[in-house]
Amino acid sequence: MQYTAEERAMIWLDSLPQIEYRGKIALLRAAKDPAVLLGEWEKFSSAVIKDGKGRVYNIDRASRERQADELVRSLDEKGYFAISLVSEDYPESLKAIPDPPLVLYGAGRRELLKRRRFCIVGSRMTPPWAEKQARTVSEKIASRFVVVTGLAEGGDRAAIDGALDGGDLISVLPCGLDHCYPRSHASLKEKIASRGLLLSEYPPDAPSAKYYFPARNRLLAGLSEGVLVVSAREKRSGALITAGYAAEYGRDVFAFPYNIGIAQGAGCNELIKKGAYLTTGAEDILSAYGMEAPEEQRVSLTQEERLVAETLREHGELHAAKLAQLCRMSLPEAMATLASLEIKNIVVKSGGNRYSAL
Amino acid sequence: MIAKVICYALNGLEGVPVEVETDVNKGLPAYEMVGLPDAAVKESKERVRSALKNSGFAFPLHKITVNLAPADLKKEGAGFDLAVAVSLLKASEQLVGTELGDTVFLGELSLNGDLRPVSGLLPILISAQKHGFTRFVIPRGNAKEARFLRGAKIYPAATLAQVVGHITGAAPLEEQQSADFFSLVTRRQSAVDLSFVKGQPMARRALEIAVSGGHNLLMVGPPGTGKTMLARCIPTIMPDLTFDEALEITKIHSVAGVLNEEGIVLERPFRTPHHTATTVSMCGGGNRAVHPGEISLAHGGVLFLDELPEYKRSTLEALRQPLEDGVITITRSAGVVTYPARFMLCASMNPCPCGNYGSDHLTCTCTPAEIRRYRAKVSGPLLDRIDLQVEVDSVGYDELTSEEEQEDSRTVKERVDTARRIQRNRFEGREISVNAEMGERELREFCPLSRECDDILRASFERMKLSARARSRIIKVARTIADLDASEEILPRHVFEAVSYRTYDKME
Repeated sequence: MQYTAEERAMIWLDSLPQIEYRGKIALLRAAKDPAVLLGEWEKFSSAVIKDGKGRVYNIDRASRERQADELVRSLDEKGYFAISLVSEDYPESLKAIPDPPLVLYGAGRRELLKRRRFCIVGSRMTPPWAEKQARTVSEKIASRFVVVTGLAEGGDRAAIDGALDGGDLISVLPCGLDHCYPRSHASLKEKIASRGLLLSEYPPDAPSAKYYFPARNRLLAGLSEGVLVVSAREKRSGALITAGYAAEYGRDVFAFPYNIGIAQGAGCNELIKKGAYLTTGAEDILSAYGMEAPEEQRVSLTQEERLVAETLREHGELHAAKLAQLCRMSLPEAMATLASLEIKNIVVKSGGNRYSAL
Repeated sequence: MIAKVICYALNGLEGVPVEVETDVNKGLPAYEMVGLPDAAVKESKERVRSALKNSGFAFPLHKITVNLAPADLKKEGAGFDLAVAVSLLKASEQLVGTELGDTVFLGELSLNGDLRPVSGLLPILISAQKHGFTRFVIPRGNAKEARFLRGAKIYPAATLAQVVGHITGAAPLEEQQSADFFSLVTRRQSAVDLSFVKGQPMARRALEIAVSGGHNLLMVGPPGTGKTMLARCIPTIMPDLTFDEALEITKIHSVAGVLNEEGIVLERPFRTPHHTATTVSMCGGGNRAVHPGEISLAHGGVLFLDELPEYKRSTLEALRQPLEDGVITITRSAGVVTYPARFMLCASMNPCPCGNYGSDHLTCTCTPAEIRRYRAKVSGPLLDRIDLQVEVDSVGYDELTSEEEQEDSRTVKERVDTARRIQRNRFEGREISVNAEMGERELREFCPLSRECDDILRASFERMKLSARARSRIIKVARTIADLDASEEILPRHVFEAVSYRTYDKME
């Protein structure tokens, strides 16, 4: 990949672990041009960084150039690309946040960064119905937006599943691109890299750390026009952190509503109380942006199926035996009808033999 | 003088005739036992010596050699005592002028001359009868076990003296009267009944299907919801034991030494090995004798594994082959033994480590990774052999105390019997008797799928991400559901219902 002199200098600057983010920004301000900073490092480093850490890199210019070349070469070798603050296609929405990453490392379809983006997040303990609903929303949203999410199980996974087929999907990692968290999603990560886009603000070889997660969440919010929270506990929820950043950055916040007393959704209800859009489907999100939902495919149902589906809609979640009773069917009949509706993606089983309609 | 007496040894469930040859010769007093006896057999010397003396006979002060032929077969246990004592009496000419003929002598001696019961008597009698022996002297303690054997003359005795009296003709023993198996069966009443189980309509239905088609069953549910209770009800809805089945099960239980008072197994076994069970105790084996394991003791009945993920993985994996073949072949340095092991596997487990996943009033606190780890303890291949997976509901207090009459075991059993009859007719002249045992050939012959049904299966695979291996299992269950429905053809609703019992595959 071709990098301009500025971009190359930014990649080098980003790779210096001893200098904090703020120090790097100060250096860039002082030098005005990153290429100048790389060329005349000694002039700025000790002046700007007072604690002496800047001097660590007081190596001669040829070595600095060699380091920069090495970094670019290693990125190329792994098939990654780097977009820096000075790059032409660095996302505007990300520039607008107080602390945009100097460099974003990516693998996959870079052009997705030029499109409109919408973020879907949820906790790892997302109830089955919300997972399925999130998947449907993600699938529909992906027709208009690029879906932005993490790589975790539960809510993130549902968003990924919905958008992965179309490939309009960005997954932001809490670690370098060489790593995968959770590890069990390694093959999923590969799929996203080949069909969509993987992003990280950390150099490729950086392993994940606890405090990377909230930092990553600021990118999810920063990259997106809005955030949908599909599930969140009331406390210590990463999805709530993301929603908090979104509100701070002036992006829209959407949330699924939950029954009272369901811990996995208490955070969502809290968001709605504070003014988030109550969201029951992709239409709510799309209409907030003045868009129309894509045409839905009509599924043909038998008489029993219609009866069961309508009864479920009316009553919310129901035990299969109770449902059979309400529909005046035998239990085996009801089971057969439910299985058929499940295959048609109209009902979802939520554990303990209970079903709910979507 | 040399005397020969017939006795029997066991190799698995097969009896092997053993000739006890005793030679009493002049020489320094000695007592040698040859022919691969184990410790318990060798110790018979001392028991025989005391028993003879205490029964009023003399122990010859000569050189005595006892040979157990064939010499290359390992002899185990104390069942040879009586035969050794009788042959010794004959060889020392204390039983002059009597003919033993082909009477088989079985029994352990106590020091005062009483006869103690031996384990594995029934399989010995059955084998011996096949070999042409018809007269048996056995300990009185084994009399009940022997009374179901037809066409043999069986003489139970309490003491060595009685046996001698019988041989000399001074006081012949009374012949054992044969008993009627079915008269015993009818007066049994089970301690559990399905009518005691509150609620659980889904699990009841799954139980009925599982028993009807001989399918294996997994119950997933929070702790304390009645999984064990449901499992205990399985024998109450299984078809009655036939005499041949009872005899076969009794043989196994007899060899294992766990036979009941009645001397014959009257109820289908329900075995619940604890999850600390070793592979050997589960499958059979042992360092000396090869004993039948839990899976063989469950033959013809139910093997219930409570808290399935807690069992050692290797132990569970060892079940795979017997689940397929219905027999287990155990190979040890001592020899190769095959025991029958055709049982219905019923397992239960919690849905997640905390147990509350899917509960309506408690919240599950497990992360998906924890749940996955917990479930991964049960391997895919084993799960694949479990056709029905059903979730057991947590029961509310109202349901628990409700007076509503629940269907009892007898009503369900009638439906099961009807479904079994249909299957027996279908598999007439074949090796198999229930749907679950169908192979590819039978699947093709008896389970043709309409276009519509095939579409349903295809859709389930795509939507529910079912494993390809699950396909034939689903078809077999659908066949059983159709049989319960008295339907010749497998209809879409049968397939749908069968699909709904693969919950576990869907829960990733």
